[in-house]
Amino acid sequence: MACNPRNAFPGTVYNNADRALDLYGDNIEVDYRGYEVTVENFIRLLTDRLGEDVPRGKRLGSDGGSNVLVYMTGHGGNEFLKFQDSEEIGSWDLADAFEQMWEKKRYNEMLFMIDTCQANTLYKHFYSPNIIATGSSEIDQSSYSHHADNDVGVAVIDRWTYYNLDFLETQVTSPTSKLTLADLFGSYDESKIHSNPGYRWDLFPGGEEKGRERLVMDFFGNVQGVEVEGVGGNETEWREDMRRLEEIIYRARARGNMTGAKKSETPVEEVIAPGRDLGKGRVEGAAKIEGVEAWGQRVLGAGALLGCALIWGGASWLESR
Amino acid sequence: MALISPTILALRRDPRLLKLPPYLSALCIFIGAVWLCLLPLNEYSRRTYISENALLPGQVHTYFGGSEQNVFNAYKYEVQALVGKDQEAISTKLSDIFESAGLRPARQKYEYHAAGNTYSGENVYAILHAPRGDATEAILLVAAWTNMDGILNQSGVALALALARYFKRWSLWSKDIIILITGDSRAGPQAWVDAYHDEHSSPFVAPLPLKSGALQGVVVVDNALDHRFESLHIVYDGINGQLPNLDLFNTAVSIASGQLGIGVSLQRMWKHNDSYQERLQTMLRGMFSQGLGYSSGPHSSFVPYHVDAITLQAVGDGWQDEMAMGRCVESIFRSLNNLLEHFHQSFFFYLLMQADRFVSIGTYLPSAMLVAVNFTIMAIALWIRSGRPPAPKVASTMPEKQNPEMEIVQENNMTAITPKENLTILERQLFLPVTLVVSLHFLGAIPLYVFINSSHNTLPLYFLLFTFLNFFQPTVLATLIHRHTPLTPQHHLLLQSFSLLVLGIFLATLATLNFSLSLFVGLLSTPLSFTGNPFSSSVDAKDAIPSKTRQHIWTLVLQLLSPPVVVWAVCYIWGADLGEMLAEAAFGWKVNGLWTQVVIWCVWWPAWTVGGILVNPLL
Repeated sequence: MACNPRNAFPGTVYNNADRALDLYGDNIEVDYRGYEVTVENFIRLLTDRLGEDVPRGKRLGSDGGSNVLVYMTGHGGNEFLKFQDSEEIGSWDLADAFEQMWEKKRYNEMLFMIDTCQANTLYKHFYSPNIIATGSSEIDQSSYSHHADNDVGVAVIDRWTYYNLDFLETQVTSPTSKLTLADLFGSYDESKIHSNPGYRWDLFPGGEEKGRERLVMDFFGNVQGVEVEGVGGNETEWREDMRRLEEIIYRARARGNMTGAKKSETPVEEVIAPGRDLGKGRVEGAAKIEGVEAWGQRVLGAGALLGCALIWGGASWLESR
Repeated sequence: MALISPTILALRRDPRLLKLPPYLSALCIFIGAVWLCLLPLNEYSRRTYISENALLPGQVHTYFGGSEQNVFNAYKYEVQALVGKDQEAISTKLSDIFESAGLRPARQKYEYHAAGNTYSGENVYAILHAPRGDATEAILLVAAWTNMDGILNQSGVALALALARYFKRWSLWSKDIIILITGDSRAGPQAWVDAYHDEHSSPFVAPLPLKSGALQGVVVVDNALDHRFESLHIVYDGINGQLPNLDLFNTAVSIASGQLGIGVSLQRMWKHNDSYQERLQTMLRGMFSQGLGYSSGPHSSFVPYHVDAITLQAVGDGWQDEMAMGRCVESIFRSLNNLLEHFHQSFFFYLLMQADRFVSIGTYLPSAMLVAVNFTIMAIALWIRSGRPPAPKVASTMPEKQNPEMEIVQENNMTAITPKENLTILERQLFLPVTLVVSLHFLGAIPLYVFINSSHNTLPLYFLLFTFLNFFQPTVLATLIHRHTPLTPQHHLLLQSFSLLVLGIFLATLATLNFSLSLFVGLLSTPLSFTGNPFSSSVDAKDAIPSKTRQHIWTLVLQLLSPPVVVWAVCYIWGADLGEMLAEAAFGWKVNGLWTQVVIWCVWWPAWTVGGILVNPLL
């Protein structure tokens, strides 16, 4: 968009016709642009169904500890959002993609925001846990643009997006802001937005009550909070898991009669994510099987081959007689 | 199926069914004509709307004004100083102006010969490459040196030059902009667009030294006035009645009237008061222009290449200045610049009855189709009649009790006894009717050849001569045929049947290409369906051939509606000079690829001739 030849102000994207805030900034990195933005690419990105040669910049490097924000805007309708002029993503497509993400442990919590006509229909079919969804307008409601820039020649921003951005710019002033989603959603003024925003809490553990307590910065800020170990109630839980895992490994080793299994050289990646600390500890991974019987087995194999050769030689000698 | 077929088989022979086609045919014509008259009503027409969201007409500020006014005045002065100079001087000056604006100019010479006239000149154009775009697409700004009336387009050319200089300063173009000053309004644009697509006929038309990408839109400015203007007249008809995409027209209307407050008119309806009559009149004028299919402005030549084009013509005496027209062009170009794809969203087939009201093809097409179908219905009816034996002679004085001969029919394990009369089928003598119809259609090539190859001095004379000959032509042909082979009643029916069949097929096909032409030819040919005795159902001599009185009446009607007489009438009503009109038609055929003459001489005229032969009292 910033580099489109039609842009009267090359290299910039403004949120307002006063052109005070350049959304493009100095360090924005656009990973997918122009005709790369397709439904297929989007779903592949979410579910990580990408080839090995796809660079890290074009992947969503999230895991089970990441909080993911999905913000979509564009032309849409009842249960669909248009991509380019030729295709659209349906609400079931999104729901299934998110379920795959959950199964693959690609998010911890997700905030889904969408600004399009009849936006609230798009998150209707979500069924994966830990998702908070919100949209700009109800079914049969249009989502309006805020205002147009008459030099650029297009509407620069949508109303709902505009007031979301306004809240983030004016209220959330520091990375340590303790404002919650309740504050963000509470800032929506339907008389200004000209449509009725919708929310979905039922997928979130603890429902609306817990969801509203989530910090805005959990999703919008790249803040990596650290909690002091041993305080959380999860401590015993993961220790229990580790103990069981060790047992399983022990049993497997005993069954395979593996004596010399080495310890894994690489420890499991330590993940520090906001809200939940997975802790640290060395986990023994899979190891190469090395046994003393290896030589004995080789001798046995060579003996068997030799025996076969002898039998064959003897039989052909008998036959030639 | 087994239950239905006997019923249908019985119905097939039902005399009542055979009486139906003429009424059906007349009904089709009636509905077709009424349908057309209903179109201007609010219930059947629609308000125009922008279909392509990307266009966003009138959403940008226009900055053409201020000091640009001085630039424009200077260019206008330069243009006026060129009056009376030769082509070389004009082209050199225009090239210099383009160069001084930082654009690379190019020239193209062309020369056409039609109707004994020579149309020659030179196009000068320059390409403004999109600063940040790829050179795959281009939009075109055209100003003809002289407008359609041959008057110097002084403000138009100066405006195009000033806009070229102004556009050069913007960096937001996604498509190349070509500024083209054509030598005239008819031949110049055709030569240029032909050469742009490598379709030009060398050596008379030179190839283009500079080219850009695919043309996405064309705006022609035509302002020959030396004073302020009142409103913009938008001309949109292309060659052969093809039209530009409605979105382009709507964009221009919405920008001119909505953004800049300039009144918009079309089809020379200067005062439109939104009444039924005015709407109908606008629509009929549009249809007439479409039917004739001639070039209505420099934009017309682009439309056959699927390049959407319109002409903006400044008309009247008001308070709008050239800068306002310039801003209108600027805003249209900003909209065209927004396009991601070729114009495709809106309609290509439409009839406009007001600047903001139209009917689309789905609504108006049945009208012409019904008129065309009437010929096909009658052709089928006549074919059936031609195969039916004459009715049994019934002595009126003595009702002799005589059983009709019966025959046993066996089909699919079903047996039926039917009168023998119903089963006999007359053998149809096809050779003469088919030969005659086909050869008459090829005979149309003679007037076509004469009228496109004669000089403009002799054209009116030839046409007068042709009208005179055409008056006697059916009689002469009828006599010749009668001497050779006297026509039987069956020949009569078959001849008419084939002629109507061909006419029906041609008109139905034509209706999808040039609706108006098809409808006009169809309506003027309607009497051909009802000559003869349409309401009788047998092949009897006295039934198939109408009475002498009727023949005389039909001859008179057909003579009044003969193609040459209609051409004369049109010239008289529109106050056009016949010689000019014929010269224009010849030019259209040679230069623009106009097909109207082919339809008239090879479709309509042969059908009319067959009709004339059939009602001839000599036969």
